Amino acid sequence: MAVEPAGTTASRSAGPTVLHRLPATFKILLTGAIILAAVLTPPARWPVHGLLACLVFTLHTFSAVPLGTLLRRLLVFLPAAALMALAVPASQGFRSGWDVMQAILLRSTVSLLAVFWLAQVLPFRELLQWLSRHKVPPAVVGTLAFMYRYLFVLWDELERMRSARKARTFGSGGMLFRWQTGIRLIGMLLIRSLDRAARVHRAMLARGWDGQVRFSDD
Amino acid sequence: MHIPDGILSPAVCAVTGAVSVFSLGLCLKQLKTTLSDRTIPLTGMTAALIFAGQMVNFPLMVAPVSGHLMGGVLAAVLVGPWAGCLAVTLVLLVQCALFADGGLLALGANVLHMAVIGSLGGYAVYATIRRLLGGTQAATVAATAIASWLTVMAASALFCLEFQLSWPAQQLPGSDFSFASLFTMMVTVHSVIGLGEAIISGAVVGFVLRHRPDLIATPAGATASETSEEAASPRRLFPAAGRAVTAGIIASLAVAAFLAPFASGHPDGLESVAEQTAIESLAAEPQVLVLADYEIPAPVASWEAAPLWQRLSVSLAGLLGTGTVLLTAWLLGRGMKPRTEPAGLTHGR
Repeated sequence: MAVEPAGTTASRSAGPTVLHRLPATFKILLTGAIILAAVLTPPARWPVHGLLACLVFTLHTFSAVPLGTLLRRLLVFLPAAALMALAVPASQGFRSGWDVMQAILLRSTVSLLAVFWLAQVLPFRELLQWLSRHKVPPAVVGTLAFMYRYLFVLWDELERMRSARKARTFGSGGMLFRWQTGIRLIGMLLIRSLDRAARVHRAMLARGWDGQVRFSDD
Repeated sequence: MHIPDGILSPAVCAVTGAVSVFSLGLCLKQLKTTLSDRTIPLTGMTAALIFAGQMVNFPLMVAPVSGHLMGGVLAAVLVGPWAGCLAVTLVLLVQCALFADGGLLALGANVLHMAVIGSLGGYAVYATIRRLLGGTQAATVAATAIASWLTVMAASALFCLEFQLSWPAQQLPGSDFSFASLFTMMVTVHSVIGLGEAIISGAVVGFVLRHRPDLIATPAGATASETSEEAASPRRLFPAAGRAVTAGIIASLAVAAFLAPFASGHPDGLESVAEQTAIESLAAEPQVLVLADYEIPAPVASWEAAPLWQRLSVSLAGLLGTGTVLLTAWLLGRGMKPRTEPAGLTHGR
């Protein structure tokens, strides 16, 4: 995970296109259908994967997804999928398993592109509304909303602690040292965030929180 | 660890998804009574915490590759198995929906591996080992480390099984594909990954215990007063601890010995069917293939030639990994010697 939180929310709120305004159900079903088609297509019919990729790329274009964003995302996640796919022939001593690897690569690339598109055109708020409309328990949706609210707060906190560490250690140190500081970083973040959870809970109680989630229609 | 789409078949995704949804329902039912109105702030914050904690990279031997925490066991140790499972599930959901990290169809499998096995299964192992070791702080750290390693191993073994079911022999026409050697590699690689997870989780729990022991939830049946009472009377504790350590080592060795051949042993039966179906294509060009197999003295080729040695080596790897994990757990536990005053790190904001 090397995705920075900053660009994601800003780019999503900027300029919604026609595809952004489609109903959430349609967007989710379309993505699911594309992935299902990609996974069910045998590797011998690779032109179908090509067509699906073209379709997804068209969707990206009409949703005004910047090419740089798309490429950066691919650069983060495609190597991971490729490594997993490469593990198949590698375990066979590179003598067989190439067809499996080819199938996994084709399928996962199309699927990755499709999920990127969904992530771009489905704002988190809309996803929450969709989930609560579709009988997902309010406790789950409420927790999800809470998590999303504090995720960026904790990211900022982590970033502050990281730069403090860098400032104190001149950004260097051996591997053992970096493991130690990494563990302390997580430990401190943990203590602070659980304390924060207790504080927030008390504040919620003070405002009449009774454990029931209520959504305001906006 | 996040499985992208395209590796598992839709049927496998559907089954794992159903299991995950069922487990999630169980968690929600339990949370209603255990955490009640604290559920949302505590679970939500834990989920955000695990997500943020995964951004801390740990350098590995190979320079460009770095590992990170997965956090299923850590979440369960902090807030209990039910809230931990829900928290990790939400982390996976957000990673999928926001960053396309992990597949959409494969979400159920990912939840099963990291949240259900990680938090629910991991907590069961953690609570058992912790009780066996006497419920001290050192026992908590050691139990966290062992449970972390075992959950990663269990998840990788389950993934191997799912992979086998996703790729039936008909889809691999005429290839001499050996699932067993793939599984050997998966389990071996994950025994190392699990070691990283064990070290990080154990050390983080140790850090929290040193500075804010009140934040670690005590398992049901072992209340805070009970543990302090046990710690106060060392004479009664020690013989029990000696027996408990032995029992714990035997138990985890048994689990590892069970898990490791399970990963390669179970598919062997299926594989023999695949061999029988592919035997005609083999018979068409008999000599060349057999010779080709024996001419290559690579270790992989010899594994395929001698399945017994292969299974033995997996078991050995499992035992060796277990030994390393137990040593790590013991070292982490030794670092837990009670210190009089925390070194000024606890000053919150």
